[in-house]
Amino acid sequence: MTAPSAPTAFVEGISFWAPRLPGWKAAVEVLAHGGDPALGALRRPATDLLPSAERRRAPDSVALAIEVAAAACTASGLDPAQLASVFATTHADLAITDYLCEVLVRTPMLTSPTKFHNSVHNAAAGYWCIATGCHAPYMTVSVFDRSFCVGLLEAFMQVAADQRPVLYVAYDIESCGPLAPVAVSRGLLGAALVLAPTRSDRSLLQLAWAVRPGTNREATPAQPDNAGLVEGNAMAPCLPLFEALARGTGLVTLALGLQSVLDVRVQKPVVSAA
Amino acid sequence: MPRERTVVGSGVYPYRKPARISPLAIGAWTVTSALGPGRGAQLEALRARRSGLRPNDFTDAPLETWIGRVSGLEESPLPDEFGLWDCRNNRLAWLALQQDGFLDAVADARSRYGPSRIALLLGTSTSSIGATEEAYRQLTPDARFPEHLRQPIIHTAHSLGQFVQHALGLTGFCATVTTACSSSAKVFAQAERTIRCGIADAAVVGGVDTLCGSVLFGFNSLELIAREPCRPFDIERHGISIGEAGGFALVECDGRGPWLLGYGESSDAFHMSSPHPEGLGARIAIQDALSRSGLLPTDIGYINLHGTASVRNDEVEARVIADLFPATTRASSTKGWTGHALGAAGFLESAISLLAIADELVPGNLNATVLDPVCGPQICIDNTALATPTVLSQSFGFGGSNSVVAFGAERRM
Amino acid sequence: MSSPQTPAELALAELIVAAVNLEDVRPADIDPEAPLFGDGLGLDSIDALEIALEISKRHSVQLRADDEENRRIFASLRALAAHVESQRPG
Repeated sequence: MTAPSAPTAFVEGISFWAPRLPGWKAAVEVLAHGGDPALGALRRPATDLLPSAERRRAPDSVALAIEVAAAACTASGLDPAQLASVFATTHADLAITDYLCEVLVRTPMLTSPTKFHNSVHNAAAGYWCIATGCHAPYMTVSVFDRSFCVGLLEAFMQVAADQRPVLYVAYDIESCGPLAPVAVSRGLLGAALVLAPTRSDRSLLQLAWAVRPGTNREATPAQPDNAGLVEGNAMAPCLPLFEALARGTGLVTLALGLQSVLDVRVQKPVVSAA
Repeated sequence: MPRERTVVGSGVYPYRKPARISPLAIGAWTVTSALGPGRGAQLEALRARRSGLRPNDFTDAPLETWIGRVSGLEESPLPDEFGLWDCRNNRLAWLALQQDGFLDAVADARSRYGPSRIALLLGTSTSSIGATEEAYRQLTPDARFPEHLRQPIIHTAHSLGQFVQHALGLTGFCATVTTACSSSAKVFAQAERTIRCGIADAAVVGGVDTLCGSVLFGFNSLELIAREPCRPFDIERHGISIGEAGGFALVECDGRGPWLLGYGESSDAFHMSSPHPEGLGARIAIQDALSRSGLLPTDIGYINLHGTASVRNDEVEARVIADLFPATTRASSTKGWTGHALGAAGFLESAISLLAIADELVPGNLNATVLDPVCGPQICIDNTALATPTVLSQSFGFGGSNSVVAFGAERRM
Repeated sequence: MSSPQTPAELALAELIVAAVNLEDVRPADIDPEAPLFGDGLGLDSIDALEIALEISKRHSVQLRADDEENRRIFASLRALAAHVESQRPG
């Protein structure tokens, strides 16, 4: 698969946020080598980047996505206003879904307009573009347990097809109310990458990727100790790739379709023969 | 008149003109809306200027508005083998798949390309949230979902993609796109990238979105709902009518056409639920769609507008059209026929644009009687004949997500 | 600063601060005659809808943000409080 001709994206920024691993700096050692994360857990990230009206209205899902998007862009040194983006989320804002369904049963005429407009799956992407003044397109995908992999492939394809850097953001939040047992997700988990089509001084790692027939049995599992840190969050399937990114090397297989997988080979950037 | 006009001013956005793409053939396509199942029903209603809107008979609580409801879904459960995915949205998907020989066309494509080489890319806004709402209405005394509504898959957006994937027997790349009202327009862009990158040889694209209480009362809370049938671009317009629709197309590298010529996508970066006042995002998306297609504004015969009949959208969109296109281009919103099908609107209106090409028909603005003076000569009330078989379909969504798709009768290499 | 808030204006200011999550604003500090929207408190049309909703829940007064009188009604805390008072049933 990852022959020299395999399409390759270059990682220029990485970020990660979970309550006990709040930031890539905090996460990288733990994900690479195990060990104890920082004591205590944060509830949700700050939202300093947002303009005041949007900051007042940002639900947890938006705060989380904006945090990891901004951190990845800062790490890359690229201007967020110039980046196309791909957002992946399994369930968008579960607290708002719970609210809308509940108010619909009791007092539908008293539905909150703010909560309703935050209920769209692309709310985080929309807030992000407002915050950064970005007119480049964004894509939002929601693919149940394949959300992380499908979003990553979409970002890889945009990098390859349009030859421009792309921001990839994946996130899910905690479920609540009667929805919780069927739309299962615990805690907050967000992760983001800035991916570029060519190697540069900013390149941290390179990702050679390929789609091939295969089943989800081939999917790379997360390290058991790490899995516990994000257990139950719907975006936990991102973990094996971020472990490989933390180590700086590895081959990660992610379940894509019913009978297809995405292979990603992580390695240090190599200077091409050309 | 200048041949090419500047759409995007310098200094607003590091604008880079996209390269032309190789056109893709629309090998088969079908659509179902409040006008009825299949292409024939849409065409007949468009020609007869018969609206599919009716007074709201969908919500339990009263809400004075008109809706574009697809008849018969309540009495049409999914076949037993697909019972896991049974809900209104997937019933509409299933109804739509049965029309216009679409299932046969996909079976044929599956045998030609193999089931893993056909991508499945579907847009929706709320997908099967209607099933979640139903579960909240029927909670058990200990506040749990009733037993028949506990399948996790019908309480998440990918309910749509996963159901159709099984219904069509496709095993490769499959995505549910959720960018609100631009969702099922963006799948054409995604299909082009997927095929160009070699991830698939063909793609089934589409969109399905159904009526649900949270959306009707949500739009009501934003005071965007009209109490009368919506009247796009009318001076007296008072807001939108919500509708539902489902449709699918097979996109391939070769065929007889019609052709997907190009697409443009952008973000407003302005407000979650109001359009950019100068329509900046819309202008970027139009310019990109023209650039990818190798077209000029003067080449465009018809534009199916977003035209929700909200005060703000129509004002901004009319101004953009008047600025960018010659008087010979026709433009209209068909939401007076179908209502706003939200996540399915991009596909529904792409399909109406394809009908415009196939039947040389420009639908007018149903329900408009006096156009807003902001409208240019492009926006027409009456149906007319299509002069140039090259069309655009525009979709703009909450979160400032814009998408414009270009189709044509000719391949234009 | 204009004349001090009345008790009804203070109650309404508290409702507004909670309804639109004005984290850094103390209700008692809102100038009753300053504009609520635009440069004033920086509120926009969605906030107007949210405030109207909260008022209708609390006072059984129906406000539509697209009301033609909207500009006058939402001009300031004082104008809004006066309107709510004038519309109260009974």
